[in-house]
Amino acid sequence: MKDIFRGELVRLTVESPETIAKAQARWFRDSELLRLAESDPAYMWSEKNRKEWVEKQDGQDAKNFRFCIRTLSDDKLIGEVSIHPQWVDADAWVGIGLGERDYWGRGYGTDAMRLILQYGFVELNLHRISLGLHSYNERALKSYEKAGFKVEGVMRQDTFREGRRTDGIYMGILRDEWLTMQGETA
Amino acid sequence: MNEILKGKLVHLAAVDPEEVSKSFAAWNRDSEYKRLLDTEPPRLHSTKAVKDWMEKELEKYSDTMYWFTIRSAADNQLLGDINLDVVGWNSRDAFVGLGIGPRDFWGKGYGTEAMQLALQFAFTELNLHRVTLTVFEYNPRAIRSYEKAGFRLEGRLRGAILREGRRWDVLYMGVLREEWREHHDHPN
Repeated sequence: MKDIFRGELVRLTVESPETIAKAQARWFRDSELLRLAESDPAYMWSEKNRKEWVEKQDGQDAKNFRFCIRTLSDDKLIGEVSIHPQWVDADAWVGIGLGERDYWGRGYGTDAMRLILQYGFVELNLHRISLGLHSYNERALKSYEKAGFKVEGVMRQDTFREGRRTDGIYMGILRDEWLTMQGETA
Repeated sequence: MNEILKGKLVHLAAVDPEEVSKSFAAWNRDSEYKRLLDTEPPRLHSTKAVKDWMEKELEKYSDTMYWFTIRSAADNQLLGDINLDVVGWNSRDAFVGLGIGPRDFWGKGYGTEAMQLALQFAFTELNLHRVTLTVFEYNPRAIRSYEKAGFRLEGRLRGAILREGRRWDVLYMGVLREEWREHHDHPN
């Protein structure tokens, strides 16, 4: 069986809480990253706060599968991706963030998303995978479309930032759609 | 939508350790009950020990365990418990265990109906693909009951139990989603 944690540009890893906390404390000083990825007011956290948070998330319960993203070329930790199954319906939410700006818009996130989709459909045997994003995050929208997601709904004016109301977008991908894509790329 | 936890003889209800631990401790003093249910040597536990154990189980397995008390439809009497334990969500399989405490209610269809309700819950509410159980060779009443509910014999661990100077098999039984559908529409 092939290594399902290895893509073309990145691999998925699990890191110690200390490593993640250190990286997050640094990444989350970037307000643009926070405002692209989150709806909460941008804020900064101490390394200690992040470590405690990670430790609370840690441990393989069946509702949270969290990975770090490392580049294949130089083994650099550049972000995180996680998938959260809702088992009864075989649906899951995914979240992804690249903390290292130098790697934005260059296919690293898309590659990590492809890996997590494969994990969701092949290993977790899910029926569908969902995500949400802000409409002003056009780079993310393109990346998710490339990975196979389709826009399923729009929450009109759910965000108020810099004096402007913007939409929230819901995207999803079904198992059959993903399988068809694999046939096309194989 | 139908009331899915209610049958003709029994209904499935919550597990409240405070309320039921005394009965559970009493049933466990019946060594036959205990030996039909478990392979470990019967041990006697205080009501408090049973209550603490139940609370711990409920807390520890809150994501994967669906545990019900079995109560009579007629007068809500506590008759036993049934537990669906999802062993792997990605495989959609669960282990089920069932016990009827008061001997007056053995062999009268109460357990069978509780199992039927649990299967309905497993297949229509949890959307599982299969349900698995183990039963001991010396418990033909249970084997018959499980067959009635739709289970099929899938395998046996030969001589896995040594009791009263004899070796007995542990039987594995299972029911698949499609079989259950079929059986549910046309029970024998």
